[in-house]
Amino acid sequence: MSKGSRKLVEMRGIVKVYPDGVKALDKVDFDLAEGEVHALLGENGAGKTTLMRILYGEIRPTSGMIIVRGKEARWRGPWDAIKAGIAMVYQNFRLVDALTVRENLLIYLSSLGVSRSEAESRIMSVAEDLGLSIPMEARVEDLPMGVRQRVEIVKALSGGARVLILDEPTSNLTPLEAEGLFRLIEKLKKRGVGIVYITHKLREVMSIADRVTVLRKGRVVGRSVRGDRFFSEEKLASLMVGEVLAPQRSLGEPGKDEVLRVESLTVESGEGVIRVRDVSFKVVAGEIVGVAGVAGNGQEELVEAIIGVRKPSKGSVYVNGVRVRSARDFYRAGGGFIPGDRVRALAHELSVADNAAFIYYTGSRAILMTPSRVKQLFHRLVREFGLKAMSPSTPVGRLSGGNQQKVLVGSEFLRGFRVLVAVNPTQGLDVATTAFVRDLIVKASREGVGVLLVSTDLDEVLELSHRILVMSGGRVVGELRRGEASPERVGVLMGGS
Amino acid sequence: MVEVVGDAATVAVLALATMVPITLAALGEIVSEKAGIVNIGLEGIMLLAAWVAAASYLEAGVGYIGAYVLGAIVGLALGLIHGVLSVYLKGDQIVMGIGLNIFAVGATILGTYALWGVFSNSPSFDPMPGLIVVSGVKISPLVPATIALGIVLWAFLQKTVIGLRLRACGEDPRSAEAMGVNVLLYQVMAAGFSGLTAGLAGAYLSIDYQGVFAKNMTAGRGFIALANVAFSGWDPLLALLGGYLFGFFQALAISLNIALQEEALSSIINTIPYLATLAAVAVVARRRVRIPRWIGRPYIKE
Repeated sequence: MSKGSRKLVEMRGIVKVYPDGVKALDKVDFDLAEGEVHALLGENGAGKTTLMRILYGEIRPTSGMIIVRGKEARWRGPWDAIKAGIAMVYQNFRLVDALTVRENLLIYLSSLGVSRSEAESRIMSVAEDLGLSIPMEARVEDLPMGVRQRVEIVKALSGGARVLILDEPTSNLTPLEAEGLFRLIEKLKKRGVGIVYITHKLREVMSIADRVTVLRKGRVVGRSVRGDRFFSEEKLASLMVGEVLAPQRSLGEPGKDEVLRVESLTVESGEGVIRVRDVSFKVVAGEIVGVAGVAGNGQEELVEAIIGVRKPSKGSVYVNGVRVRSARDFYRAGGGFIPGDRVRALAHELSVADNAAFIYYTGSRAILMTPSRVKQLFHRLVREFGLKAMSPSTPVGRLSGGNQQKVLVGSEFLRGFRVLVAVNPTQGLDVATTAFVRDLIVKASREGVGVLLVSTDLDEVLELSHRILVMSGGRVVGELRRGEASPERVGVLMGGS
Repeated sequence: MVEVVGDAATVAVLALATMVPITLAALGEIVSEKAGIVNIGLEGIMLLAAWVAAASYLEAGVGYIGAYVLGAIVGLALGLIHGVLSVYLKGDQIVMGIGLNIFAVGATILGTYALWGVFSNSPSFDPMPGLIVVSGVKISPLVPATIALGIVLWAFLQKTVIGLRLRACGEDPRSAEAMGVNVLLYQVMAAGFSGLTAGLAGAYLSIDYQGVFAKNMTAGRGFIALANVAFSGWDPLLALLGGYLFGFFQALAISLNIALQEEALSSIINTIPYLATLAAVAVVARRRVRIPRWIGRPYIKE
């Protein structure tokens, strides 16, 4: 905390016990001062978001005290908190996508009793002060995630927020957008806004936090101020995880047999724009080939063409020597796929067992599902993949992100494959689950599976790949072997030289 | 030639009278669906309101205005019930609408028998006198009122903050709630409004347009209203146009039947409005309209 600055909020001895007896928070203290970034670090399920939802009035604490500017506050709901100047920006933004930015802001400000003309001028002055251009007439759904987030922040500030809670703010952003966010946060600090930065990403804590509180299993396990001896990635990581992770990973030796071949592939978008341009490569058994690149440089279209759901305008794909013309060809030839977007890949209202069965029977020739096999599938997910779910009939949407990913990844691994195409397989996962999924991929490659790992997480690609293909503007602009690849070299290529 | 032009003019004016129920019900339903609540029971509400209006006019001596008010109240009550069941009890909106339609058919037949001793219809009476009579067609005050309502609702939805808040409910109730909108209240109110307009539409049919209550007299107008909602792309102004278009085909069928006096052909001619509806909806299905995204699904808070 910078000296002399006033405390905006203070939480004392917060305990939250859910009706089912789960203790989500155990005597947690937290505070935030004007003009500081206080990071709340922890794995998924550590209680970070719960703690902040209590501050925001969405959840009532079982016991404990919230003090806002020296006075004890009792929230009946988020609106009490909003009126007291506390705003939360969720990971999935709370904007009505079909409405324009102006309309969204008007709804919010009218709820605060702000008149229409007053609202316009407030928005303008906030945007101007921060040097942000806000496309007021655009529909939210047409805007990139980074801009939507700016809209959320402008929304909060024009509503008078002095405390801004950002929940995993970079999880939906491109690296460039994240840079923009960090610059914005700096400006907000200068204006005295206090920011709670919920994250599990150590690198972000290192780059923008002034203070950090580490939560593990609902308890505060560490606090650190920038500059003290705990303020390092290694120290914070061990506090967060509670164990030291192996930093280096040894990979298996690739075999000889070619399992995936992509020949001069060109893919166009629906509008006829060329997204993938003349890409060729192959993957042999036991090899992990990483595809690095800034999101939106053709990786998505490349993957869709490989798994057979998008028809390439030129070129061909072979899996185990079989030409892929449809998704069915891909799966029957021994292909496996981990999609990058689990929100879209899982049917949230359906049960864990149904989702697992759906993935398990992909490409299968079976007509009837075998109930005993489906049940066994669930138990294997629990036993072998550490899935935490109440029962096979729990809707997938009720699971945490990490457990959803376990359903997605686990079911595919149980189905089995000889070639795996994995897209951002650890996106949004906590450290332990990330390590687990990466172990699975490496283990599969040791057993002879050829892996194409498409990831926007450069560390992941560097850690897991025998070879790295760098994509930019739809082309493979470089190929680096393990050992010669470094973040700097890949980064330069990603920038499109 | 003069006669043809004269006939065309008559049809065009008659269409003003036939457009009222279709348009009124569609306007209310647009508001309701914009808030996320679908009521496919419009047909049933109209039928019940038509019966109540006729019965109260004939038996209770409440006058035309009184009959309109009672019809509207019945519609409002049914709309609110539908709203409460959908919003608070998270009922299936489609199933409830179907139930309402089936219930209305039976209830009105029974009611007709109870009051007038026959299953088919009430005694006839003079319909409400029109404002003015053009080409032999009386123009009910509800004609200008319907057109005015379309314009007012368009302004309400597009220009007012309350209209904006209502639209947010049908698009993304979670975000709307997070922005301080009382989603459940808005939805119930909108459902009530839809019932109210359907009730007015029903009352119009019996006491204003026909001067009788007849079994099943709505004859699918509630469903044509739903088609009109889709046709309009949830735009009240286009719903006025759509209502006139659908009304025009009904007027055309009526005029053709009168002109031809062919018993055998009349059944075929009577299909014109429905075929036109089908065609219009098929055309609209090809156009990409913006459907409220959370339509028909109950909003369940975390």
